[in-house]
Amino acid sequence: MGKPKFYDFCVHAIPDGDNTAPELAALALHFGYSGITLANHSDKLPQSRHVLSSTDGFEVFKGIELVEENPSKLHGLIGKFRKSVDVLIVHGGSETVNRAALENPRVDILNHPAFDKSSGLNQVLAKAAAENGVAIGLTLRPLLNSRGSRRIRLLSDLKANLELARKYEVSLVLSSDAMSGFDLRSPMETLALAEVCGLEEDEAIDAMSTVPEKIISRNRPGPGYIREGVEVLEEGDYF
Amino acid sequence: MKRLLPSLRAKKRYLAFELISEGPASRSDLVKEVMSSASSLLGDVIASECDIKVLGFEDWKGIIQCSHTKVKETRASLAALTRINGKRATLHILGTSGTVKRVTEKFLQNLKVFEPKVETKSRTTEE
Repeated sequence: MGKPKFYDFCVHAIPDGDNTAPELAALALHFGYSGITLANHSDKLPQSRHVLSSTDGFEVFKGIELVEENPSKLHGLIGKFRKSVDVLIVHGGSETVNRAALENPRVDILNHPAFDKSSGLNQVLAKAAAENGVAIGLTLRPLLNSRGSRRIRLLSDLKANLELARKYEVSLVLSSDAMSGFDLRSPMETLALAEVCGLEEDEAIDAMSTVPEKIISRNRPGPGYIREGVEVLEEGDYF
Repeated sequence: MKRLLPSLRAKKRYLAFELISEGPASRSDLVKEVMSSASSLLGDVIASECDIKVLGFEDWKGIIQCSHTKVKETRASLAALTRINGKRATLHILGTSGTVKRVTEKFLQNLKVFEPKVETKSRTTEE
């Protein structure tokens, strides 16, 4: 097995965050990532689409983080954006939104599921997430920027979600949720932090490389793709 | 006092790092923030086992020493550093090694070529 490729699947650029997309991409490349996803919140989308440049070994994926309180409107937004983005993230934070996101197989990741006094997941939602292939997003920014009681809360929520995810085999995605370049951390440091916070080493590596790769290959079908399970292969492609 | 025998001394790892920051930072500011972030993330007991020391820091790069069994914890606590002097900052670890000489040769000498480009870029945009 070669060295795994690492991806950061939730980065916010101007006007949502502080830095422009090329700056974040340059920094992420310097830190050793193989790709990032620009996922601005849906209420702060840029006026014009970024020109996404991809150099050798580094790719910038199109993404979006949907913010919507109303479940039926959320499903509408998912339908609207699904075709145009590589990675579709839902910004959770209430019982109805979490449920709507985890029961929709067109969603890729649910970020920030925690609300009030709950970690945001329970056995019903975890089962739904596993069935629909929705990953749970673990975000670094709140962990870094809080201290004391707030960080303790975040860590215990993380632990609770982690246990549910292990039991029901829900996939996890580890991302920075960076609002500026200063929220980005290099892959090795993210791994170290995740391990200190209770993840196993292979879980953390999966959450930064294998799961993101799966999401991209699912949303970018090959040229002969017809529908799930049906694909036209070129001659010589059979074996 | 007589120095400990080499075989009795604690084994160490040396981490080469670069600092990306909004404002200027002195060595003492860095030491203060590294220690407080380690004790806040790991707790005082584990932070003491890590044996973190900032050996040198100038020109936005330097070397940090830690116990060889606690590299992961040290990395995590350095990643948890977010501010120095109230200015936003990121500590990026370039690599680790068992000797100061090796870590300097391997990670800090070649750094001059590539590192300033990205660093100044992200710094100037923040100002």
